[in-house]
Amino acid sequence: MSSINEFYSKEKKESYYETLVKELSSLNKELNAFSTINESINSGYPFSAKDNICVKGFESTASSRILAGYKPEFSATSINKLLSKDFGFLGKTVMDEFGFGSFGVNCETPARNPFNPEYVAGGSSSGAAVAASIMKYHLAIAESTGGSISTPAAFCGVVGFTPTYGTVSRYGLIDYANSLDKIGIISRHAEDIREAFSVIQGEDPQDSTSVGKVPEEKKKDKIIILKEAMEHAEEKVRSSFARLIGKLENMGYKVEEKSFEPISKAVSIYYIISMAEASTNLAKYTGFKYGYQGEDFTKGYNAFFTEARNKFGEEAKRRVILGTFVRGASVKSKYYGKALRARALIIDGMNKLLGDGYILTPTMPITTPKFTEVKELTPLQSYASDILTIPPNLCGFPHISFPYDYVGGMPLGAQLVSSHFNDNAVIGFAEQWEKQFEYKFRYNLGSL
Amino acid sequence: MQEAEFDSLLSTCRIQLANGEREKIKKDIEEVIRYFDSMDSMDCGGFGEAYHPIQIPEKTRDDEVIKCSKSDSYLKGIKTYRFYVVGPKI
Repeated sequence: MSSINEFYSKEKKESYYETLVKELSSLNKELNAFSTINESINSGYPFSAKDNICVKGFESTASSRILAGYKPEFSATSINKLLSKDFGFLGKTVMDEFGFGSFGVNCETPARNPFNPEYVAGGSSSGAAVAASIMKYHLAIAESTGGSISTPAAFCGVVGFTPTYGTVSRYGLIDYANSLDKIGIISRHAEDIREAFSVIQGEDPQDSTSVGKVPEEKKKDKIIILKEAMEHAEEKVRSSFARLIGKLENMGYKVEEKSFEPISKAVSIYYIISMAEASTNLAKYTGFKYGYQGEDFTKGYNAFFTEARNKFGEEAKRRVILGTFVRGASVKSKYYGKALRARALIIDGMNKLLGDGYILTPTMPITTPKFTEVKELTPLQSYASDILTIPPNLCGFPHISFPYDYVGGMPLGAQLVSSHFNDNAVIGFAEQWEKQFEYKFRYNLGSL
Repeated sequence: MQEAEFDSLLSTCRIQLANGEREKIKKDIEEVIRYFDSMDSMDCGGFGEAYHPIQIPEKTRDDEVIKCSKSDSYLKGIKTYRFYVVGPKI
């Protein structure tokens, strides 16, 4: 039975939601998972929304100072669909500013890992993964551009599902990169993800890039390990992943190693495209319409605009500058145009591999780092750590990250990828895995 | 990247950097651009540009006026400066 059905089948005290909000508010002081907690929730299966997903009447800032105070007049389609099916909105979760980060540290109050608060929660859906980990009954609606669901799910020991691009409407999502953004789900168990995905998926007239194709479940019995992916994994991850492979072989899967050299360039391709799109998306923050509004109207337009954009954090500035650079007239074909063609090449190559089976990799090539360790990384080192989550995101393939081991008390995640629209097969794989591997959680708020 | 080229880039982005921040970000950007250059060795053969990861059918909507029920709320608490309206703020 899914946690959602279990929740509805159990008797609840009248004070259930009040107690949940109280316990959550107290723990949130330590873990910073939520930017807003909805104290008036009084019914439904509790779900949260990443802070870049609009919920009517609730501050939605994408964890950026430039959007402070912005309360949308509408809700995202995915949120409206959940609210219409007896889910209850519990609050907004913290993230890297506009989704710009792999570790959840690019914001004012970073979420902390529930297994050990000295460690990062992963990014950019950091608060969403923490929320899913600390509550017995919870769905976290998150968003991934290049790994923002898989990475925090792996670091926080929960299941993170990123659907095929276009299967869930992006209407009401504060854009990072339009051709890469996907709204997905983080939860403790794949069964709950299956149920929630059936609610939020579907074509939406408000999002012209959404598609109506019904997700499939074509099960495969072969798992492909990419040689180039494993070359990037640190030793602890490699040895633990080898044990996972052994278990999967015992479960009846055929495992085969294959090579696909172009994915070693995926980080460059992804960052060129995502930064180019981000730099145009962030051009709308001019100090007039949304959030922060400038006060000194004696300034000329450019000075007024520039002053407002001082509210961006350092990583947002860096990405706007790089995105503007790669779109420059003299270099556009060298960087942006080439990256778009390279993306087509990678989609074609990975599609051929996926015709044969699933692709499985560790979710991250490293074990969960501490805040102090992340602080020492250069931006390029940070970008390069996304090497395993970027390929499926760049290509829009459905994928799921699930916990498979615990090293030094911290969880490790593996990521399973399938071909476009075979979303229910990756969910089904994780359901099968969960039947013989018990996940660990440190907190159980909202237990019944 | 030359200082003048970087200044021009900042001006295009409408981004202002403080002195300490400028040196650090310029260095980061030069390092990332060198990394992007590693893509030069890729042969993309006859592949066209993939603006989206999946094929999205072209969609059009009917050419009709739709009443936006939210527009009134956007005008609430609107600020003015001299004889201008500031915003509207959404």
